[in-house]
Amino acid sequence: MPFVNWLKRHFVVIAGLLTLAYLLLPNIVVTVFSFNKPKGRFNYEWQQFSTDAWKDPCGVAGLCGSLSLSLQIAVWATLGATLLGTMIAFALVRYRFRARGAVNSLIFLPMAMPEVVMAASLLTLFLNLGAQLGFWTILIAHIMFCLSFVVTAVKARVMSMDPRLEQAAQDLYAGPAQTFLRVTLPIAAPGIAAGALLAFALSFDDFIITNFNAGSTVTFPMFVWGSAQRGTPVQINVIGTTMFLVAVLLVLTSMIISSRRTRQKA
Amino acid sequence: MKTNDSGSGDVRLTGISKTYGAFTAVHPLDLTVPQGSFFALLGASGCGKTTTLRMIAGLEEPSSGTVHLGDQDVTALPPYKRPVNTVFQSYALFPHLDIFENVAFGLRRRGIKSVKKQVEDMLELVQLGEQARKKPHQLSGGQQQRVAVARALINHPKVLLLDEPLGALDLKLRRQMQLELKRIQTEVGITFVHVTHDQEEAMTMADTVAVMNGGRVEQLGSPADLYENPHTTFVANFLGTSNLIEAEVDSRSGDDIVLKAGGGKLVLPEARCSAPTTTGGKVLVGVRPEKITLTHADDAGEIPEGRNRITGKIADSSFIGVSTQYVIDSSVCPDFEVYAQNIDRDARLVPGADVVLHWSPGHTFGLDAAQDIDAGIQEEAAV
Repeated sequence: MPFVNWLKRHFVVIAGLLTLAYLLLPNIVVTVFSFNKPKGRFNYEWQQFSTDAWKDPCGVAGLCGSLSLSLQIAVWATLGATLLGTMIAFALVRYRFRARGAVNSLIFLPMAMPEVVMAASLLTLFLNLGAQLGFWTILIAHIMFCLSFVVTAVKARVMSMDPRLEQAAQDLYAGPAQTFLRVTLPIAAPGIAAGALLAFALSFDDFIITNFNAGSTVTFPMFVWGSAQRGTPVQINVIGTTMFLVAVLLVLTSMIISSRRTRQKA
Repeated sequence: MKTNDSGSGDVRLTGISKTYGAFTAVHPLDLTVPQGSFFALLGASGCGKTTTLRMIAGLEEPSSGTVHLGDQDVTALPPYKRPVNTVFQSYALFPHLDIFENVAFGLRRRGIKSVKKQVEDMLELVQLGEQARKKPHQLSGGQQQRVAVARALINHPKVLLLDEPLGALDLKLRRQMQLELKRIQTEVGITFVHVTHDQEEAMTMADTVAVMNGGRVEQLGSPADLYENPHTTFVANFLGTSNLIEAEVDSRSGDDIVLKAGGGKLVLPEARCSAPTTTGGKVLVGVRPEKITLTHADDAGEIPEGRNRITGKIADSSFIGVSTQYVIDSSVCPDFEVYAQNIDRDARLVPGADVVLHWSPGHTFGLDAAQDIDAGIQEEAAV
């Protein structure tokens, strides 16, 4: 049974390839349909190849406005959540204070809470406070739910850091500020970067919480959802594909840089 | 290379102590380390030696007492303002910086602009010139250790503190690095304070050793002094091996004390006894295994007069090349250890043989009997 033997020998590779295909198939569909020229308003059936949508990505009213709003919110939410989350993570790892244990568990509750419940509760809160729903309520909500993720990522990194490194820095004439800038921050950076990327991704495509607390403001996920009821413009696929490509490009660049660095050093 | 010129480089600890809640890591302690000396703090883990070192570095705040470097009281100074550098146990090299930048770190923090020459010279001193652009994790343990030394020494500290710097290395490399560190110390002339649990390491490298136990300094002296004339059972057992026998003070003759032990008499020079001796009182008598001569019972008549004697039977013997180690079941102690050089081996000295152990009274030492006779005996693994 040569085939069975062949299967046995290559099982891991085949399983790996199948999983990869399973992961990437949706992305391929998005990309392929960004070159579609649909009849009617729905982009669900392949008709014919066209680059119309790529030539005019903002051709649909409101799309690029919502995209730019989503990007702005994502950037600010990332900054806010990363800054706060990093400080919280350091405090939790480095200092013994009253209620530290409680804070340690409470910080993870938002991750466990069903998002839709959180969204409704936030709306209640904002309405009771008399807040004007829009950019600011969205931003506040996003920073809130990104925070737990940033804390988790940074905490893991800070916990694995040898406290003697900072002592060594101090021993070598670095004051507290220098120690933080020259030693602590560079070593914690991968954790902080991971937290920030996570925050950006979460904020950019959040729909449920945003939808509840946006008022009349429309973010990109809300725009896609809204248009899906009336018809899906090809431009949505163009934006999706672009985002995917940007991500792939970033990953590739970082891989090339790090591999070049190790080759140089070796 | 030169040391800092301002004042002398003595390290002076006065009444320094450290408590954590109810636990006392270091009891009030006075210690002076003379400038230019190689000083070792020796003790088992948890004896307070590292805490003492960290109080000199400023990484630990003393609960009481003061730290002086030369004429300067540095007790209140943070670590980054003390002219002291540390070689950490795990080296604590900065993983994100290359070797050059690790070594240059201290110079740069003090605002020195042109560091290239100095760093290169220092890397040359520790024989790592080729590795300047590598990251710490790309070096072997011994190389990392040398980077840690270079990173500290380049700042010309008044005192270099070494916290078990050789603990992570294998035996052969450790021996090599011991000589290397000793060479560097002689070359740069900086005061070294070295923390270790390895008594051999302390004795090989240091001019002065302070043996610590339970947060206190048990005894301080040159390695030979500590070995030949221990003042406590801990020192007697922790540094090398000692045979300790319980004895009773019988009488005095001149500068000697005559003791009764297991039916026989032993002579102990009074100067070598660190315990109070009253007639009828108890003392512990000690003698190092290599000071003892074994003679077969048949030849007992040939033993010169005036030597301390004990009779016994050989319980066990192991041949280890340069010497043979015997365990003697004697009248005073069931496991008396004797190390005999393999010069002319007496074929009759085999397990079961009746023997006389004898040694010069001058090699006997006396200790306070109120102590734990087994204090400081180490498990075999700790080599």
